[in-house]
Amino acid sequence: MEPLTVPGTLDSLKPIAEYVMAAAAAAGLDKKASYNLRLAVDEIATNVIIHGYEEAGRDGNLVLQAEIDDRVLKFTVEDTATFFDATQKADPDDLDLPLEKRQIGGLGVYLAIKGVDKFLYERSGDRNRTIFIVNRFTS
Amino acid sequence: MAFNATLETNNDTATITLSGELDASTAPQFKAEVEKAATQGAKRLVLMMQDLEYMASAGLRVLIFTKQKMGASADIYVVGAQEMVLDTINKTGFNQGVIIQDEYSPL
Repeated sequence: MEPLTVPGTLDSLKPIAEYVMAAAAAAGLDKKASYNLRLAVDEIATNVIIHGYEEAGRDGNLVLQAEIDDRVLKFTVEDTATFFDATQKADPDDLDLPLEKRQIGGLGVYLAIKGVDKFLYERSGDRNRTIFIVNRFTS
Repeated sequence: MAFNATLETNNDTATITLSGELDASTAPQFKAEVEKAATQGAKRLVLMMQDLEYMASAGLRVLIFTKQKMGASADIYVVGAQEMVLDTINKTGFNQGVIIQDEYSPL
């Protein structure tokens, strides 16, 4: 699919979701896999927008790219925020605690990693590249 | 589908009906309704989720906020949540902190 470039603001979450769902449909993913991929990309995009750009006072874009081959849908999100490797984040260790005692952060990355078959990170020049891989056929 | 959150309060029970897609861009609307409910003295929050098609972690964070705002003893009911929304609630352990029901029936 043609890549999609959107500004790093929360208003971009909607076009991002539409692009992910179009890619999921093109790859023939079922409802559950499509939803989980959308959730995964949404959570990472939200982190980049809020922490990487807005809180850091930086402007930047997100570049999304879906590639489909015989076996997998490979979905890439690139941003120009400071180095952030979500694969280095530990799973939240408070999933059993009462809600009022739980940490606000960390849930998004946890859901993103759990939502896809493979979750990868690369640093490329001044860019973070987060890669989501979903198997097209489960057997 | 656009996100919508509408609040109704009845004595100490606040009911918020959620529909559409709840992500980081729409969660502030949900949070504002919870804040309103807490200000009105609600001690129980009933979330009608039948028409909520999508929920990101931003929605879960509002549930944590609810407990902080209304008190740890405030009950949160999650009513009629769709399969994938429920899946997220279960995966993150939030099922232990809320009361999950198909149809609302106060305990």
